[in-house]
Amino acid sequence: MPHAMSLDEVLMILALCSYGVGAVVLVLYFFTREDWLRNFGAALAVAGCVAQFAQLGARYAETNVWPLLNLYGSLSLFTAMSVAIFIGFAFRYRLWFAGGFLLAIAALFLAYGVTWNEGVMPAVPSLQSYWAKIHVPLVVSAYGAFLVSFVFSVLYLVRYYAERRFAATGQGGDVVASWFATMPSLAQLDILVYRAVAIGLPLLTLGVITGAAWAREAWGAYWQWDPKETAALASWILYAAYMHLHTRNAWRGLRSSWWSVLGFVSIIFCYLGVNIWISGLHSYKV
Amino acid sequence: MARPQSHRDVTDSLPSKFLRTFGNIPFGVSLLALWGVLTLIGVVVEQNQGSDAYFAAYPAPIARAILRMNFDDIYHSVWYLASIGLVLVSMTTATFTKVIPRRLPPYRPVKIDAIPLHVNVNVKGDPASVRDRVEAFFKKHGFEVRRRDFDGTEWSFADRFNWARVGVLVNHLAILIIAAGTIVYWARGFSGETAILTGQAAQMPQTRDIVRLDGFAYRIQPIMTKSGVVYQPIDYVSHVSVTRRDGVPTPMVVRVNHPIDLDGTLLYQASYGFGMRFALTHDGRATPALSDRTLMEGDALDLPGTSRSIVYERFVPTLDRRTGAPSADPRVTDPAVVLTIADAGSPIGSVLVPLRSSLDVGGGWRIVPQRDVIYSGFQYRYDPGVPLVAVGAVLLLVGLVISFYFLPARLHVRVDPAADGSSTVGLAATTVKGYDIFETQFRELVAHLESEVS
Repeated sequence: MPHAMSLDEVLMILALCSYGVGAVVLVLYFFTREDWLRNFGAALAVAGCVAQFAQLGARYAETNVWPLLNLYGSLSLFTAMSVAIFIGFAFRYRLWFAGGFLLAIAALFLAYGVTWNEGVMPAVPSLQSYWAKIHVPLVVSAYGAFLVSFVFSVLYLVRYYAERRFAATGQGGDVVASWFATMPSLAQLDILVYRAVAIGLPLLTLGVITGAAWAREAWGAYWQWDPKETAALASWILYAAYMHLHTRNAWRGLRSSWWSVLGFVSIIFCYLGVNIWISGLHSYKV
Repeated sequence: MARPQSHRDVTDSLPSKFLRTFGNIPFGVSLLALWGVLTLIGVVVEQNQGSDAYFAAYPAPIARAILRMNFDDIYHSVWYLASIGLVLVSMTTATFTKVIPRRLPPYRPVKIDAIPLHVNVNVKGDPASVRDRVEAFFKKHGFEVRRRDFDGTEWSFADRFNWARVGVLVNHLAILIIAAGTIVYWARGFSGETAILTGQAAQMPQTRDIVRLDGFAYRIQPIMTKSGVVYQPIDYVSHVSVTRRDGVPTPMVVRVNHPIDLDGTLLYQASYGFGMRFALTHDGRATPALSDRTLMEGDALDLPGTSRSIVYERFVPTLDRRTGAPSADPRVTDPAVVLTIADAGSPIGSVLVPLRSSLDVGGGWRIVPQRDVIYSGFQYRYDPGVPLVAVGAVLLLVGLVISFYFLPARLHVRVDPAADGSSTVGLAATTVKGYDIFETQFRELVAHLESEVS
């Protein structure tokens, strides 16, 4: 008998398809600046994001197990939050041109998360805490904001190096210049990176604080020097350094964009690398 | 070629050089980066392992470097503590040399056209009435307006979120408070761990409280996943009796996530395991003195008159009778033990022995694992620094929110008469974070000003 899909699985497929198609549509918009492509892509992004939150809700309703306690659930929230934060930025600052890249990354992370779906498992004792409903969403949302800052940083770097290259060769400059004219300026992109970090860093701080409060209840001390904690501390230090560097004129723009890219690498290491490769108190893979 | 000494190099005293270096933001960021790198090393290099583990995991030169540099316990190494210390010194220096002095910048005239965020707006009316309307406009939009006279020229200054200049100060203060909280723990706190067998008691040396384990229960549920059966722990619970200074035992329950508070010392459910009682015979005769003990995993039993010993390595909850190997099922259904026989301290070999099965260990000695006794592992901790750390954490968050979401901005306004009888409002904006961050808001503000005041 064929396996009947649950509502959770249906919504997950819907979200994946929305992001996949949305990524293609918005990448086309990036190159063509056709309004209908932007509108269609934006609708897909919103639909995918709504489907994801509905999927998490449906999974919780179906199983009565908090859905963020494994990589499948947390990656789902990570992509949903990154898309939600991006949608906020896109509406406020007219940034749909960047949506294709973000949706493509979100789709990849989501598809990877699906490979970790082992079905429904009750929580182990240390995860049976109200803190799970506070700490995990905060930290994962912070990661989502940092993904958005990463996308803006990459766009900054692409634009910066493309402008330098075409300025140097003098070829293709008109086409590229007219294309870049529809994008925010380098200074504006730099500010967008800063604004995304301004969402991520307080969330990460709050996530670490709530994690410490939880650790004090579960493990006996608010700080255990567990690999996950220390990796999160390293990421926090990197972004705190970013904040400080951004106060300096000489460090705004190119250098701080590279710094933001480095920060996101540390986030991915903290989020996935530590979970998968390094054993510790946070080793909850399935 | 040697760099010629600048005037500052020559005249600066050592303290002022120190203040300039440690108050310098790129220097502080370098220290942060150093702290971050050392932290990451501790993530990548597994901590607190024996030296053999590092030589097994890394090439010999790297393993030696890890051990010599103390990277095997990096978070207690001099490098790590020094990096944190330097960050705190740098932060404190920057606070006093940069953050506090810049909290209240003086009012002074500026060259409006030289500031990147500036605009000149023509408004009908004489300068005095226009100035009043412009000031009223800024007050209406949440700005604090002050008027100053410089050499007969009147300037208006509209400040927004001036108070938010304390954001960085709050952040720095918060980190110092957190550091103070951890120092309080080092100075006055304590922690420890203990494993108590069912029916036995242990005393916490610092508090002298006696904890007796009346019983321990656990629940493990087999779950069918897409990859097969996973045995998921659901609950661990210890029933204990705690005897404090009053001498009266009080029954309590300790669960994961639910520590018990013993006058400020928290007792946590940490782990569980199985002790084992063995029956030991020599030439068929029982040796009660040796058999009367419950061994914990890792304990050894010396055989009298021989150089041999038996180490109780670990408990196997379920033996897979088909393969003769330990099963993945952690529930106790068909238990066994892993014993290692050692001669003169050197292991000869290990063997899996089912419960109540006899093992000949040579020289007429036989050993029988008789009965498992469950034990509960506890951690306890007294940390008087927690309230300080909590206050610091809240302040840190508040400081970040202030720093990120309340941008102190100052608008410099000068109203001059124009040729056609109207007035020109010169407006320039400065912020503590440059101009680009305020550009959108400045344009929106100017648009409102033009529509409301003109």
